[in-house]
Amino acid sequence: MNHNYSFSEFSRQSSKGVLVIYGDILLKIVKQTWVLFFLFVSRISEISEVQSTYIYLGVFVVFMFSLGRAYLSYRNFKFKIVDHQFVLKKGIIKKSNTSIAFDRIQNINFKQNLIQQFINVYGVSIETAGSNKTEIVIKALSHSKALALKELISTVAVSSETSQEQQKPLLKIKIGELLKVSLTENHFRSLLVLIALLIGFFQQIEHVLEGLGRKEFLDDYLNQSTEAVLGSILLIVVLFLGVVLVSIFSSFIRVFLRHFNLVLFVKKEAFEINQGLLTKKSVVLKKQKVQSITVSSNPFKRWVGISYVVFKQAMSGKMKNKKDKVIKIVGCEHDQVNLIKNHLFDSGQLDASQKHYTDSYYKTRILFLTSIILLVINSSIFLIFDILDLLFITLLLMPLCYFLIHKKIKKTFYKISTNLLLVGKGLVDTHHTYFQLFKVQNVTMKQTIFQQRRDVVDLILQTASGKIRIPCMPSKNATEIYNHILFNVETSKQSWM
Amino acid sequence: MSEFKNNTISELPDITKVEFTKVDRNYLKVLLINFFLVFILLFVVLSFLINKELVEETSDYTGLVYSIFFIIGLAIITFYIIGFSKRKYALRDNDISYKSGVFVKTMTTVPFSRIQHVEIDQGPISRFLGLSSLTVFTAGDSSSDLEISGIKNEQALKIKEFISAKVHES
Repeated sequence: MNHNYSFSEFSRQSSKGVLVIYGDILLKIVKQTWVLFFLFVSRISEISEVQSTYIYLGVFVVFMFSLGRAYLSYRNFKFKIVDHQFVLKKGIIKKSNTSIAFDRIQNINFKQNLIQQFINVYGVSIETAGSNKTEIVIKALSHSKALALKELISTVAVSSETSQEQQKPLLKIKIGELLKVSLTENHFRSLLVLIALLIGFFQQIEHVLEGLGRKEFLDDYLNQSTEAVLGSILLIVVLFLGVVLVSIFSSFIRVFLRHFNLVLFVKKEAFEINQGLLTKKSVVLKKQKVQSITVSSNPFKRWVGISYVVFKQAMSGKMKNKKDKVIKIVGCEHDQVNLIKNHLFDSGQLDASQKHYTDSYYKTRILFLTSIILLVINSSIFLIFDILDLLFITLLLMPLCYFLIHKKIKKTFYKISTNLLLVGKGLVDTHHTYFQLFKVQNVTMKQTIFQQRRDVVDLILQTASGKIRIPCMPSKNATEIYNHILFNVETSKQSWM
Repeated sequence: MSEFKNNTISELPDITKVEFTKVDRNYLKVLLINFFLVFILLFVVLSFLINKELVEETSDYTGLVYSIFFIIGLAIITFYIIGFSKRKYALRDNDISYKSGVFVKTMTTVPFSRIQHVEIDQGPISRFLGLSSLTVFTAGDSSSDLEISGIKNEQALKIKEFISAKVHES
């Protein structure tokens, strides 16, 4: 394959890209109007012939208009690379011109959805820390061009010797391992995601029906069916089992869609992660831009000996809701986690350090707060509804609460070495966050008057990827760490991103 | 390398030994004036409500409501006065720190090499008294940037210049 594209002149996307753009536009239209379509089909008998001709004509116009728009946006989309800068011109009516310096790029994603796989082109998106939107999205690039671009951006200042290293992946998740991952997922969360999806679905229907003045119809229908359901206990049990099955099943689908065939390559300055079943994704992530990594696992995962690794990068404040942008490697075994850690920093130096747990005051505080919350909930429910039953449920819940708090305390610890910090936390899940001290942005010490009596403080480290909090440590230790981190940051010559 | 503390404690510059400067005394006036403006507004709203709409039900409690209102106001003023002396900042060669708080004490330090930009702004009352507030921004979550209110204008400008010079140096 010819890799000698230089991209020094303005070039367009692959001509097949028109199709991809067209598909995207149509998908967007369908997403917004599917309910109308549904209505149309359900009432097709009531519509006269003349009316339906108009409707078909309208649909045809929309299709043609979209095609024209797709073609124009393809024509107006040009990009080039000059002086280590990526320059992009786009826009049909509102023209925009973006340029991004290579060393500001945080990661590059290569994506192939079904259409793109079918016509063998790649979608490329480039992200920086600056904005909460993806800065550059190229929808269709031919295979050879995509490879060339990947090479060009990810190997800036990396010599060609690394190309053989690239051949054997650091990590490869096979189907069997993926099964383990999906079985041990947090099924409760999958269920919530599913419910949220269904609610969105329902609201959209309601929205349209309301516009047509037929809301009562839907409400009546719902009331009738809920009554029928509540009438039978057997049905509830079946429903419960169904919900459990559905949530496990949806975990499976989610994991397989996103992480199928996960492969991790290590290059000199970057990681390359490939995954996905229908939409194949490939991310090039620069090591230097990684602010911290978190190794997480839950009881089930620990039992089968796997955990997942999350890479955190610098981001602007608003990006918190961009959960799907989090770069996550599922199903790592212990050795593989260690390999990843060692590629980022010398994690061995933590072995010699002592594990510090939180002061007993932390437990007191959490117990106190939990009791107050329980008390408030119980008494307000008692006062408003005059029900005492809840009190007994709370009594039953108390040992569970205590157990969870106990777990939380046991999982909260920190370990510090010359230039690395490990912070552990978690309730049911266990999260271990590793980061290099020189990447800290600012440090805060916080002490309430209750903590003052016990001479403990909370230490909060602000990194570019978020806050890391170490609760309730003796103030003497905290001051030492505070000084140590400041010293580390102020004497470091390395760039934090 | 064993535990880092045992061998490095004596060498590192210690934040607890740094002299912190209190913010300008006039800033207390700014705080109190701002408070009174809000307080008077709330008072007007409250008395309006009591006189016009709720006369019948609350006539017995009117005195109580007013006294609770004033006690809360008084508590806030005391809180401001006590808390004011806790607002302190310090400038070192490589970082800037700020302490505050009565019930919850916090101390934040931002190294110059991590500062993205510095900002000085003035509210209307602060401008009248020649005071400014200095805010230092770092990368990441913007909620925990460092803000020092109540520094004299010249001083704030000087600090800003100092920081800008340091930031460009690195």
